[in-house]
Amino acid sequence: METIRGRLTAWYSIALVGTLAAFAVVLYVTRRSASFEDLDRRIQSEAVLSAGILAESFGSRGVLLVRDTLIPEVAAVLEAIPDFLIITHADGRVLFASSDARATFGAYEQLTSLAKSAAGVGGRGATRITPNGPAVRYVIRPLSGAGPQFGAVLAGASTQGAELGLQQLLSTLVVMIVIGVFPAVAIGRWIAKRALQPVDQIITEVREITDGRTLHRRLAVPMVRDEMGRLAETLNQMMTRLERSFAALRRFTADASHELKTPLTVVRAGVERAITRPDVPQETLAALEETLQEVNRMTELLDSLLTLARADEGRAELHREPIDLRAIVSEAGETGDLLADHAGVAIEVRTPPAPLVLAVDRSRVRQLLLNLIENAVKYTPRGGNVSVQLAASDGEVRLTVADSGIGIAPGDLPHVFDRFWRADSARTRTGARPGAGLGLAISKWIVEAHGGAIEVQSRPGRGTTFTVTFPRGDA
Amino acid sequence: MKILVVEDDKTVGEYVRRGLDEAGYHAELVGDGDQGLRLATGGHFDLLVLDLRLPKLSGIDVLRTLRDRGNGLPVLVLTAQDAVDFKVQALRMGADDYVTKPFAFEELLARVEALGRRPKAITPPVLNVSDLALDTGSRAVTRGGRAIELTPKEYAVLEYLMRHQGRVMSRTLITEYAWDYHFDPGTNIVDVVITRLRKKIDHGREPKLIHTVRGVGYVVRA
Repeated sequence: METIRGRLTAWYSIALVGTLAAFAVVLYVTRRSASFEDLDRRIQSEAVLSAGILAESFGSRGVLLVRDTLIPEVAAVLEAIPDFLIITHADGRVLFASSDARATFGAYEQLTSLAKSAAGVGGRGATRITPNGPAVRYVIRPLSGAGPQFGAVLAGASTQGAELGLQQLLSTLVVMIVIGVFPAVAIGRWIAKRALQPVDQIITEVREITDGRTLHRRLAVPMVRDEMGRLAETLNQMMTRLERSFAALRRFTADASHELKTPLTVVRAGVERAITRPDVPQETLAALEETLQEVNRMTELLDSLLTLARADEGRAELHREPIDLRAIVSEAGETGDLLADHAGVAIEVRTPPAPLVLAVDRSRVRQLLLNLIENAVKYTPRGGNVSVQLAASDGEVRLTVADSGIGIAPGDLPHVFDRFWRADSARTRTGARPGAGLGLAISKWIVEAHGGAIEVQSRPGRGTTFTVTFPRGDA
Repeated sequence: MKILVVEDDKTVGEYVRRGLDEAGYHAELVGDGDQGLRLATGGHFDLLVLDLRLPKLSGIDVLRTLRDRGNGLPVLVLTAQDAVDFKVQALRMGADDYVTKPFAFEELLARVEALGRRPKAITPPVLNVSDLALDTGSRAVTRGGRAIELTPKEYAVLEYLMRHQGRVMSRTLITEYAWDYHFDPGTNIVDVVITRLRKKIDHGREPKLIHTVRGVGYVVRA
């Protein structure tokens, strides 16, 4: 039920099945009481009929009992009445019981005792013969017109037949509901799909607008001004605002790079001229060298910021050309060796024997590699080791930079590629000024711009491994 | 060789012009695109150093007009834009090379030399300091006639110092020349290279040729 469509279908089906069920319950209850009323009317009329027969026979014959037994002629007439019929003497003895009443085991005793107890007043009700057996509904009517010996007549009928009919009705209803669920779900899905189709279309269209280059696109607004039309329109307005701010950002980055870099160029030019002039006092030289370093720091920070700003926009492009990656790795390896030597760390660089040509941006991949190696050496204490490995498998090129350094806390791992992220003081070597925290963010961008992926694994105190994979492509 | 520099920022332009003059070229500076285009089409220059952001006519427009008219004058573009697409755009428009601001003058000079397609008159192919010789063509290094094996980075650092022999070269300048990568401040990778170079070049030999200038960098001199 992750989608609105699923939920709509579910609600629709539940509503339909609920309606069907309510209908079934009402139908069942009505049918049930109607059939019991029918039964009651029947036994009532049977009781009246028997009383009438007895009264009439009494009127025509005068004698109905021979030695306390109903005379056969009258008994035969009463026997013709269906269901249970019991006629009692005024003192409670049974004068007549239909064969049905005698044949049904248990009913006879119960019914006779009921007939005896209510002989004088009459009554009606239902009783069960056995705890789980069918119910018997009965009517007791005092007999008056058939002579003083007669007490009462009880007419009764088993509800078995009626219950059977109701049970059939019930199972029909259940089957109907169960079968009804399937078309309900199908129709529900179809309705939901139809209703939500414009939403799916909007999702597809919005998904295609991925970065600054596709932001000029707009959604097709349906002619009908319904909810979907308004949604598409609102999204379009939002995208217009986004596009405007992207354009402003683009202008800003271009302006900033020009406005900030020109003065930096001027400063740099001046420092460079002064520093390369012969006979400059050493103190001045040292100051100039520091200035130069800071100019470079600013330049690098500026470059990184602008690169990331353009990357966000999707406009930072690569200058790709086929290159044997081993050359870049070896060159970076030499630099790594120098860095490692300075830090008292052992470094091992492994490249495959065969050329590994891939269309990449040489300077960017070089930057990526130096960045990872510099980091690995920086965070590995004296005596540790760093390993750089280039390997090719079927569809990809794998570049691994692993160190035995201080590692990264598990809580920090998800953030290492964040901009301006820096680990707490544990990862900052004392005395060294920390970088701007953009190196790994840039590295991630470089890898992803090449269609690759970068992963980090680390255990505090054991070391960190950065794994870069580039798709091999056709190059 | 005559070089036309089109750059609207006076300080930068002057710096480039003077630097090129000092390197033995004849450089002229103009401040806007219109004037730049007029002079460039005049046929008096062998190379155009062109800033992309110019008043009146932008650098890209100057370049496009120049190429549209079939003018094949070599063009070196100066750009503040670091993004590759901008450089690619300039190269597609017919620029021959580019330098990103802020640039090291050494880099600009190297590119101008490459575009000028002429022997490096300023720097002889073989650099000598005392009995140390470095052949920039074959990249062979000898001291006292004995060959010395150097790794690519060791060679790059030594070549840079020898090109500017007698002058103190700062660590930053050396790093830039040999790596073109900004290392963390405090990463004194140059010191390691110098230590290794000393072992190979100065160890057990006199006179010592590589000298340290505290807090600044290094100098090669006899």
